[in-house]
Amino acid sequence: MILIAPRQRFPFLIAGIAAAFLGLFLLYPLWKVFGASFFDASGTHLTLRNYVRLATSNFYRSSLLNSLSIGAMATLCATALAVPFAIVVARIELGYKSALVALASLPLVLPSFVSAYALVLLLGRAGVVTRALQSLGIPFGSIYGTPGIVSVYALTLFPYVLLPTIAGLKAIDQSIEEAAQNLGASRSRVLCTVTLPLALPAILSGALLVFIETLENFGVPFVLAEDKPILAVEAFKLFVGETGQNPAAAGVLGVMLVLCTSFVLLLQRYYLGRRRFATAARRPPPPFEVGKGIRRLAAGYCWSVVVLALVPFLAVVVLSFLEFRGPVLHFHLSLGNFVELWRRAAAPLENTLLLSMLAAFGTVILGVPIGYATTRFRSPLTGLLDIVATTPFAVAGTVLGIGFILAFNTGPLVLTGGWLIMVIAYTVRKLPFGVRAASAILHQIDPSLEEASISLGVSPLMTFLRLTVPLMLGGIVGGMILTWVTVASELSSTIVLYSGPWQTLTVVMFQALEGTGAGTAAAAASLLIVLTLVPVALVFRLLRRHELSMM
Amino acid sequence: MTTISIESVSRSFGAIAAVCSVSLTVENGELFTLLGPSGCGKTTLLRMIAGFCDVDAGAIHFDGERIDRLPPHRRNIGMVFQNYAVFPNLTVAGNVSYGLRARGISAADSTRRVGNALKLVHLDGMSARWPHQLSGGQLQRVAIARAIVIEPRVLLFDEPLSNLDAKLRVEMRGEIRNLVKSLGITALYVTHDQEEALAMSDRIAVMRAGTLEQVAAPAAIYRHPATAFVAEFMGTTNLLAGAVRRHEGSGAIVAVGGEEFAVATRHGVGETLTLSLRPEALRLLGEREPPPDGWHRLLARLTRVELLGAVTRLETVLGNGLRLQVAVLDAPLDRLKPGVEVTLAYDPRRVTTFVVVP
Repeated sequence: MILIAPRQRFPFLIAGIAAAFLGLFLLYPLWKVFGASFFDASGTHLTLRNYVRLATSNFYRSSLLNSLSIGAMATLCATALAVPFAIVVARIELGYKSALVALASLPLVLPSFVSAYALVLLLGRAGVVTRALQSLGIPFGSIYGTPGIVSVYALTLFPYVLLPTIAGLKAIDQSIEEAAQNLGASRSRVLCTVTLPLALPAILSGALLVFIETLENFGVPFVLAEDKPILAVEAFKLFVGETGQNPAAAGVLGVMLVLCTSFVLLLQRYYLGRRRFATAARRPPPPFEVGKGIRRLAAGYCWSVVVLALVPFLAVVVLSFLEFRGPVLHFHLSLGNFVELWRRAAAPLENTLLLSMLAAFGTVILGVPIGYATTRFRSPLTGLLDIVATTPFAVAGTVLGIGFILAFNTGPLVLTGGWLIMVIAYTVRKLPFGVRAASAILHQIDPSLEEASISLGVSPLMTFLRLTVPLMLGGIVGGMILTWVTVASELSSTIVLYSGPWQTLTVVMFQALEGTGAGTAAAAASLLIVLTLVPVALVFRLLRRHELSMM
Repeated sequence: MTTISIESVSRSFGAIAAVCSVSLTVENGELFTLLGPSGCGKTTLLRMIAGFCDVDAGAIHFDGERIDRLPPHRRNIGMVFQNYAVFPNLTVAGNVSYGLRARGISAADSTRRVGNALKLVHLDGMSARWPHQLSGGQLQRVAIARAIVIEPRVLLFDEPLSNLDAKLRVEMRGEIRNLVKSLGITALYVTHDQEEALAMSDRIAVMRAGTLEQVAAPAAIYRHPATAFVAEFMGTTNLLAGAVRRHEGSGAIVAVGGEEFAVATRHGVGETLTLSLRPEALRLLGEREPPPDGWHRLLARLTRVELLGAVTRLETVLGNGLRLQVAVLDAPLDRLKPGVEVTLAYDPRRVTTFVVVP
């Protein structure tokens, strides 16, 4: 028997539970997806034909290329928007700065496919703005396909880069810039040769998150891609198949998707692992001395980015109070959309509230102990645990959903068709956030507090429950609310996993989009926005904004 | 009433041996200090006793009962941490009663004991305060009250004064010693400050690179260091490398460079030695003042004068270029200028010798 030192029992226990949970509900479903990709359409014969088809078929190749190129463009645009924004926030004196940052981080919790849908309502073929322009005789190009998707991504995902970059810029000690100036570097030279390079790890880690997010996003391309094949959408379409299911082909796309995102995630870990530019900031550098003109320009830039990012959401709320006939909008104020929504979505609304609450609890109950073990007990085991607990980041919701269906439709554990499978899928998907949130707070709680408690005779488990958890409470509640909010607007795994009685609000919106219920979709979208914003506004003080970027 | 016995205890972190086979006995009621530079393993040893660091090999007993396999919360140890570790979510009373509640002490009993403990650390009347309302010194007192109120078998102090300012540090170390002595609890104290160790300990263990260099009472450690490392670590000293030239009386004459030094101990002629001569053991003689009986004289030139307050530190250079530090109380500052020739004298019995193993 292997003897485990008393101090190692707790992390071993946590690692055991986490390994069992993630093994069953992450690795096993992924293995099923992987396995499915090696069978033919009938599911009985082993074959490599699916992969051969991937290499030879134009359709498959272009879906991979589209996903990657759109992701790359969106990442570049989001970074280009965010870095100047972060410099302004960190280094130029502006009024209402905290409101600016708060509003800028909102897109992280708002559902991005709502923004995409707003774009369609405004600039789509039958869009309000399009028609207004056409009636004036001004021709307007199409927003479907790459331009629309990239701009929605850039405007909704730029906070992923913004928040860590602000933190990174503020973590630079004044003395470092002073040293550079002292050695004869000009202001702009200091910015380019010292400040930005020091913030680069933060910028890149945010940018890679944007890239991963674009690869796995399902809602935005579903709304905007039209005929352009995109991995996450095609995997779903092939799986539910209008012309008969094809789990094998869906599996191939799923494997491609997971490989791409894992590669990026590994790249991020590898890169950041060897670049720690912490300079133990005692004093962050002073604001730039700039004239009124530049300050106005800077404020103008930041506010227009924020407004551009939030206008689609606002527009959806406004439009949902107007009358739709089919997809065509009429300018009459009406509550008709909401009446229709209520008829269709009373039960789904209840489902959404309930399922997100369960998933938020699950994420906290599982994520906090894992975060505790990886932060407090450093060992190769907990290092591995940390990596495994972050992998759900790399798995697209549609792929996880497909894996769940493949894994739990038959066999010893049947979960399909119920609510539990959805809650488990959400918990797996949001687990990295729970872990990150927990370890972020723990880094600020001195370990000797726990040692003091233990040496006073309170067992480690009771110390964790009675001392550590209360000290972490603010952060835990914040993390839980954020999990709740993002689960409430989850679409990609829900759309694969929901069944009859367990529709959610996002499913209702999705179905309304597919059909002719544009008005209902708009009403559902604005309800989602309210559902998301109210809890976030309530606990905003509890949230560390930097953590938002971990979602 | 507890005797701590540590038997060949070892601990390594990866390739680094933090503590190598240390054996040590702390007597019942003793205030024992582990002293050494940072990274010498003193904190690791303390944390092994507390149970926060696993023991790779060896054993630790309290009064013959083996405790190194007990989980830390069953060891009944009071520990005072460097950064206080006062629970920010509890009041002063809540902090001090924390360990009592864990032991299921009744509320009435607990209130009485908390009151007594707070009185002992001069915090009576503060029990309803929150930690953020207290100063560093007060937080330290809360931490001490919290550790003693559980009537622990052993008190452990992990550099408890290093976050306080200099004056408060001197005050607190006297208080801690009085408190520990009046309670009669066996206490193990870790510090890197040699003055603190000398001032408050019954015995001191000087540690270096995971091993014990010397274990002795403060006076013995300072006056009769067992190794050159101890001599240099405890205060300042002049370390001189030389070889025995001849015997003289009951002692010997050692040649260091071209200069001769008298020592009181016997060594074989030709043996290589390291001498330790404390700056305060060197006396500055007045003009034409004869040295006391049996003392040895040195002629030197002043190169630097540093007034530190009560003590003046002089740097001198001997004829052969050898540098010697001298500490003088109440120095005649007006005639001490760099470049002046001075006469120094020392008692050969105050020179400590270490045989250099070839």
